[in-house]
Amino acid sequence: MKVLDRKVLRDAWALRGQVLTIALLVGAGVAVLVMSVSSFLSLRAAQRAFYAESRFADVFAEVKRTPRALLARIAEIPGVALAEARVGGEARIDWPGAEVPVAGRVLSLPAGGGQPELNRLRLLAGRLPEPTRHDEAVIHAAFAEAWGVRPGDEIAAVLNGRRERFRIAGIAHSPEFVFTSRPGNPLPDDRGFVVLWLGEEAAARAFDMRGAFNELALTLAPGGSEAAVVAELDLLLRPWGGRGAHGRRDQPSHRFLEDELAEQRTLAVTVPLVFFGIAAFLLNVVLGRMVEAQREQVAALKALGYPSFPIAAHYAKFVAVICLLGSALGIAAGAWMGAGMLGNYRPFFRFPEMPYLLPAWLPLLGAAASFAVALLGVLAALLRILRLPAAEGLRPPRPASFGGAGLGAWGRRVGARAKIPLRGLLGRPLRTALTVLGIALAVPMVVLGLFWWDAMDSMVELQFDRIERGDAFVALTDPRPSRAVREMARLPGVLAAEGQRIVPVRLRAAQRSRLLAVTGLPEDAELRVPRDAALRPVPIPPQGLALSRRLAERLGVREGDMVQVEVLEGARRVHDLPVAALVEDIIGFSALMEIGALNRLMREDDLVSHVALRVDPAAAQALWALLAERPRVAATSVKAVWLRVFDEVIAGLVLTSAVTLTGFGVIIAVGVVYNSARVALQERGWEMASLRVLGFTRQEVARILLAELAVAALVAVPLGLVLARWIVGLILGARDNESFDVPPAISAATFATAALVVLGAAFASAVAVRRRIDRLDLVAALKARD
Amino acid sequence: MAADAARPAGDPEPTGATPVFVARGLCKSYGSGDATVHALRDLDLDIMPGEFVVLLGPSGSGKSTLLNILGGLDAPSAGRAAWRDHELSGADEAALTAYRRDHVGFVFQFYNLIPSLTARENVELVAEIARDPMRPEEALALVGLSHRLDHFPGQLSGGEQQRVAVARAIVKRPDALLCDEPTGALDVETGKIVLSAIARANRDVGATTVVITHNAAIAGMADRVLRMGGGRIVSIEANPRRRPPEDLVW
Repeated sequence: MKVLDRKVLRDAWALRGQVLTIALLVGAGVAVLVMSVSSFLSLRAAQRAFYAESRFADVFAEVKRTPRALLARIAEIPGVALAEARVGGEARIDWPGAEVPVAGRVLSLPAGGGQPELNRLRLLAGRLPEPTRHDEAVIHAAFAEAWGVRPGDEIAAVLNGRRERFRIAGIAHSPEFVFTSRPGNPLPDDRGFVVLWLGEEAAARAFDMRGAFNELALTLAPGGSEAAVVAELDLLLRPWGGRGAHGRRDQPSHRFLEDELAEQRTLAVTVPLVFFGIAAFLLNVVLGRMVEAQREQVAALKALGYPSFPIAAHYAKFVAVICLLGSALGIAAGAWMGAGMLGNYRPFFRFPEMPYLLPAWLPLLGAAASFAVALLGVLAALLRILRLPAAEGLRPPRPASFGGAGLGAWGRRVGARAKIPLRGLLGRPLRTALTVLGIALAVPMVVLGLFWWDAMDSMVELQFDRIERGDAFVALTDPRPSRAVREMARLPGVLAAEGQRIVPVRLRAAQRSRLLAVTGLPEDAELRVPRDAALRPVPIPPQGLALSRRLAERLGVREGDMVQVEVLEGARRVHDLPVAALVEDIIGFSALMEIGALNRLMREDDLVSHVALRVDPAAAQALWALLAERPRVAATSVKAVWLRVFDEVIAGLVLTSAVTLTGFGVIIAVGVVYNSARVALQERGWEMASLRVLGFTRQEVARILLAELAVAALVAVPLGLVLARWIVGLILGARDNESFDVPPAISAATFATAALVVLGAAFASAVAVRRRIDRLDLVAALKARD
Repeated sequence: MAADAARPAGDPEPTGATPVFVARGLCKSYGSGDATVHALRDLDLDIMPGEFVVLLGPSGSGKSTLLNILGGLDAPSAGRAAWRDHELSGADEAALTAYRRDHVGFVFQFYNLIPSLTARENVELVAEIARDPMRPEEALALVGLSHRLDHFPGQLSGGEQQRVAVARAIVKRPDALLCDEPTGALDVETGKIVLSAIARANRDVGATTVVITHNAAIAGMADRVLRMGGGRIVSIEANPRRRPPEDLVW
């Protein structure tokens, strides 16, 4: 080993505190990269594998009722590779133990038995139903896991008003239900929603579909155009009550999964970039100062005749040691966090397998990126000292000019002791600014970690206290005259009932279109109060539509523009309606109309399809049981239950990110403060030892040395809070998720916690350096000028 | 006779006054086993109030170690050292800090000024923690630097910086002024100016002064000259008359 290489290792050991804190900074960047990229790739791989294995369809369509014979014509549409028909419908499940009736979806399996051609099931246990048995079903794994259902168990379901019992033959995953939730819910509700697959005979009998079908799935031939196939399908199915064909984009499970993947991809690119950017900056500050402090050693090496290159290589190796350590820590932490993050997805996404994948190039990329960033960090400082003539380097750096004798009016008021840190701060404004900015950058990390709690709170508050004010939402089996609302209002425990009409439509504006439902609300609705951005109630316009602001953005329309509304139910007319108002929605999109106007559009009487209820909490349980018995009630969703699910599902996700990012915030604060203090001590240890000799106590000397950093930290924290608000806005702006809109609400408690965490980390670093001040060698101060 | 026999080597002619510094059987060794270095060996010394003592000797003779122990910077391995009624041997860190703060003024070979403070502020820094300091301007006037009050160390010559250091040492009206090679980094003429400042401080403030040097020419300005070698005091000369630094030749 060359002598200089031995110096690398000895320096690294001698400066181990600094080496470790810098390595942790590097490691944080690598960890974020490894974590976010690997969890994204793992999720993507699980999706690809499952979609391929199960032959997930490309296009889907629902129709009221079509003769089987039409399938042959559909299969002939140019661009269609394979088309498969089935029977599907809603069910209400009577599940003992469920406090609220369970909503169910029923789908048929092929008549001859065996797997369907498309959207095949992956059986986890048991088998498919015998084609001859009408009382067997396969149940979706999410519900089975949530309730501990096993093959052989029984389940009772109300199909089309008839109660039937099924024996569970098998438990399965399906590519159509990777993400499962009650229709309209943005979060999984494994205990409250179930999918059952029946033999075709059983399903056709239950939904009165013998010789007919009402759902269609197909794959596109290579080169087949989705848009063309969808248009052709709509044309073919229209006479039969087609509800609009659509591609995977409008398939609920797929859309939610894609949303999440898109968000993950954005984060996997932006967050590591931001992190490496911050790390590069911090390394520049910290490593640069460390190398600067070795200027005399560099000068001595040059004076001894070492050319510049081996000296530069020497420092590059020193950086490499730090990066190797940091990368090793970062890769290990990143893989661990990535696997943990993937684990957080399990309740959301039901894949038969979701292995954690860490491709070999990823750690290498992380290590290489960290080395590049760190080298960049030292480059400037190294070039500066290499350019210095050896003789000058051997002299201590010229004392900085301190800008005249006084500090203006201040100078007379503060003592000499306070002037040392003051001049230190003001005499090197650039260094001070970098230190302040470095510490400030720790604050947004912590805020980003904690902020999600605030966001979730304000989401829930906005959506469920301000907008959806009912306690329960009842779906009727089919639209009923509005007296159904009055009947429901008379049920025991119901305090108020409000009818809504929900109609599936396709909205079109220029080239953009969107499948969704229009909700008709009474003019004076109190259980659903649309609001504008300032949270003021928006009156339901008597004519035209009120759209979610985010939906309007997607459709590219503004208030006053016209949109085409293709009704996908009943007489299926097409209308042009103005956008009369914009409203805020946090979860999902909504398109609202006055209920009378909607019914007139449908050329129907005064009908309602859903009822929102306000319920007396004391009578709630009895009411749910009562509703479950009513024949016209298809499903009841209860806000309190939903919110509990929300809390359970979100809490884990948020906790992970809070802990991780807070940890990074601490690493940054410690990295900057500890290293700044160590460099200050290295540069000024002699001065401080002299003060000790002159009779200053350890505490007084520590105060003089650390006051600069204390001031820097105190300035940095408010700056960091401002930065945090800005960065949160930036990251939320980059999000592109239809399921949720995250409000940029940061609570005072979050700001306060972030400030305290960063100040605490700074304080702890100062305490660590303080120990070294206590051990200053006083005798050395009298002697050689180090 | 008995009293004479017990008289320590460094003791001046008996004058009836009580010594301010007392050292008895002072030993200081570093390291252990074969590598042990004995910096001081069984050294006895008394220094009288207001006395100006020069410690002469080659490198490694133990003079810095002795000064460090007298200044409360280092602890002896054996024996005792005391300042008036303050035991210096065995005192804890806080007591030694208080002793330095209240009684001792230090002048270093390399001045050790705070670069971000002006001459006045460097002196003020010590005045702030002293019990009964003179005004910083007064201390700087004593060393002839009234015209350089608001200059930073970087703007001062070596001799000027060392005079600021002397002013800083005397501003607290110290009982003892300890100087370690105060002219070591200076040329002859500048060195003389600094030594005059030290002599004046010794006279005007009445501080007992110990100056370390390896420059024998400085010996002329002392009351007593202690020559050190091998960790012991090898000879003592008392000058009948102190010569002003301006008259020194080296």
